[in-house]
Amino acid sequence: MPAVKETIEDVRRLEADKYKYGFSTEIEQEFAPKGLNEDIVRFISEKKNEPEWMLEWRLDAFRRWLKMDEPNWAKVGYPPIDYQDAYYYAAPKDAARYKSLDEVPEEILETYKKLGIPLREAEVLLGVEGAEDVTAAEARERPRVAVDAVFDSVSVATTFKAELEKAGVIFMSISEALHAHPELVRQYLGSVVPVTDNFFATLNSAVFSDGSFVYVPPGVRCPMELSTYFRMNAQGTGQFERTLIIADKGAYVSYLEGCTAPMRDENQLHAAVVELVALDDAEIKYSTVQNWWPGDAEGKGGVYNFVTKRADCRGRNSKVSWTQVETGSAITWKYPSCVLRGDNSQGEFYSIAVTNGRQQADTGTKMIHLGRNTRSRIIAKGISAGRSDQTYRGLVSVHAKAAGARNFTQCDSLLIGDQCGAHTVPYIEAKTPHATLEHEATTSKLSEDQLFYARQRGLDEETAVALLVNGFCRDVLQELPMEFAVEAQALLKVSLEGSVG
Amino acid sequence: MNALVKLSAFEAALAEALPEGDLRAELSARGLPHRRVEDWKWSDLRTALARFDPASPALTLTASRSPDRTAEPEHGERLMARLAGALGQGEVYELAPGERLSLDIRAEAGAGHKVIEVIVPDGAEAALHETYQAAPGALANIALVIRVGAGARLTRLIEQDASPDGVIVLTGELELAQGARAHQTTLGFGARLARLETRVRHAGGGAHLTLDGACHVGAGLHLDQTTIVRHEGPDGITRELFKSAAAPGGRAVFQGKIHVERPAQKTDAQMNHRALLLGEGAEIDAKPELEIYADDVVCAHGNALGALDAAALFYMRQRGLDDARARALLTESFLMEPLDAVADEAERERLKARLRASLGAVS
Repeated sequence: MPAVKETIEDVRRLEADKYKYGFSTEIEQEFAPKGLNEDIVRFISEKKNEPEWMLEWRLDAFRRWLKMDEPNWAKVGYPPIDYQDAYYYAAPKDAARYKSLDEVPEEILETYKKLGIPLREAEVLLGVEGAEDVTAAEARERPRVAVDAVFDSVSVATTFKAELEKAGVIFMSISEALHAHPELVRQYLGSVVPVTDNFFATLNSAVFSDGSFVYVPPGVRCPMELSTYFRMNAQGTGQFERTLIIADKGAYVSYLEGCTAPMRDENQLHAAVVELVALDDAEIKYSTVQNWWPGDAEGKGGVYNFVTKRADCRGRNSKVSWTQVETGSAITWKYPSCVLRGDNSQGEFYSIAVTNGRQQADTGTKMIHLGRNTRSRIIAKGISAGRSDQTYRGLVSVHAKAAGARNFTQCDSLLIGDQCGAHTVPYIEAKTPHATLEHEATTSKLSEDQLFYARQRGLDEETAVALLVNGFCRDVLQELPMEFAVEAQALLKVSLEGSVG
Repeated sequence: MNALVKLSAFEAALAEALPEGDLRAELSARGLPHRRVEDWKWSDLRTALARFDPASPALTLTASRSPDRTAEPEHGERLMARLAGALGQGEVYELAPGERLSLDIRAEAGAGHKVIEVIVPDGAEAALHETYQAAPGALANIALVIRVGAGARLTRLIEQDASPDGVIVLTGELELAQGARAHQTTLGFGARLARLETRVRHAGGGAHLTLDGACHVGAGLHLDQTTIVRHEGPDGITRELFKSAAAPGGRAVFQGKIHVERPAQKTDAQMNHRALLLGEGAEIDAKPELEIYADDVVCAHGNALGALDAAALFYMRQRGLDDARARALLTESFLMEPLDAVADEAERERLKARLRASLGAVS
């Protein structure tokens, strides 16, 4: 059936010309020379004053990248990218010298404020100084979010660092971590997404400029939400951030990521790598609100978002949950994945993707079951409007030793108008008889018990299903910072009615 | 991506046999489909045939009657079908209303190719029954084009006999005209590599397609059932039900794609695949895919993989059945569903008996 009126209106609100984050910030910036070669890789490494091994690591990646082919299997089309026609490093002048928030230029603080991320106020309002007096109960009542703000190629500020340190949590930019905790970075960097992984990840390994580093020590529940806000500002630059999160034994952390960019007529490249490591009994929740500039209604400009995100559930009973709300980018190529290595480990993927205008998104997940009794759940909801094309592409793979593995996958997609496309490409591979895998695109196979319960309470099937599907996402989304939450909630209101396969 | 590959002796000999032209150039440059080719990722034809010798082919086709023509039948655009067209002989059958045509194809040696075109005239009702087998070291590469005319009805039954060490590639293309109905049922047992590909075009609107399949793949065997259904006209209906069971060491592959084009509004398509892994070393791979460009359609797909229900097994053991018997019975009841839809009772019972015999023999 066709989409209902409310849905159409909700989606229209997200259309390109309503993009709220399209402004750019006037600030003096310094760039690396345009283009990409070994000297640029050295330039970036030198800018960050990196140790020799890091430079070698980058150069090795760069040399491999030169021999690789750009992947072409995704259902997206774009003109060939000239990798020499971009700046691989752009930073506000003197960015390296900001010691505290007080030194960050007003223009940058103002930018984040406009984006709904008031860096300074957050600390002042919530009282960094008095932080030691906050009791556990108070901390629970006061939702606080520590933010690492990444402006083009560098991290300009990280809030609540001192308080997090008290809990033993390391939260800083990855450039900083390379100096402060080189042993941790060296141990884990590239251990989930190897340098050789794929074209874009290898490119990232060569030229990544900044990103966040998180280490949560054994048994620690991170006392607040951690968040990184990525802002692309400079013209003609690519953003290549690298995020590394390690939850040691029994640790818990919830991490949020947001991203926006100014409206520009050119296409900008964003090729990030995110690596998550969960050891025994650890849990990581990773949420993304992706709102890069999607280009105008005619497909001019917009960010190419080619991202590799992977979690390694290395330990027993570890758990990783990915939640993504994808509304931005001209082209999305993104498959947040879980390698379920530890016995009893769990992976989850909840995704809501909306494409409009001439956006193209090929996104989904991979759940690789290696350990015994591993479980995964995939809930993906895609809405295509305008002249956009959207593909859910997912892999569930169960290896021979993964006895007791279970997967449940559900994808719904909705088309609004007859000029767009919605596609589902699930891959399922099972090599053990002791696994149960279910893939459903029909709504009737949602937990029958829950559905029955909701129906009994007088909800019609549509409402009941929407309630159940959204229920999964909602509890994670509600944890998002205010500005993100508003956006995400608007998406969640979009009805399931009229969904196809 | 299009880098030249080193051809196996089989591929080189195949290329050698082709006349100069695009097909020869393509085969020489890329070789046969292999696991890095998306459509063949779970069926590595190149490797399966690498040690085969295409020389002195012996392919026999036993038909219930002689063909109407033997010249230049259609074979479609797929590489294997084009190879069949270039290297094999062709036959065209125009079915009379009420006709039941049977085609029994056996590859005895070498690489055998054949192209067959079957035409069901407008408004006619006809049946087509195909059987495929390949002896060890033999390839049967068959391209079949079936045109179902406006308002016509076709019942198609495909039996693929277990062919250890043989390779079978069947590329079937069905075209459904306005208001046509086609019901296809496949019963397969696997081969060294067997690929049963069915491509259907709902060229006219309002056609009704049913694709059913049951397979029991024994140890060391492989069976790939691939279906691609394109809805080009409006109001089309597609129903697919595939059930697979893989014995230890067996591999069953299901790839299904439903493509709904913009004019194909009010399409109603459902695709279902259910599979059982009957023991350690069994493998099931599935890709139920949807590609949709029309907004007022209902398309659904489901896919479930698992083992036999432990509780049901326990119940049957309690009733005094030994483990092997209980497993065979449960597997049988699981696999029978697609066969239950076969309208002809005698045929239905014969197919079920074949499946039953296979289950008793292998699992």
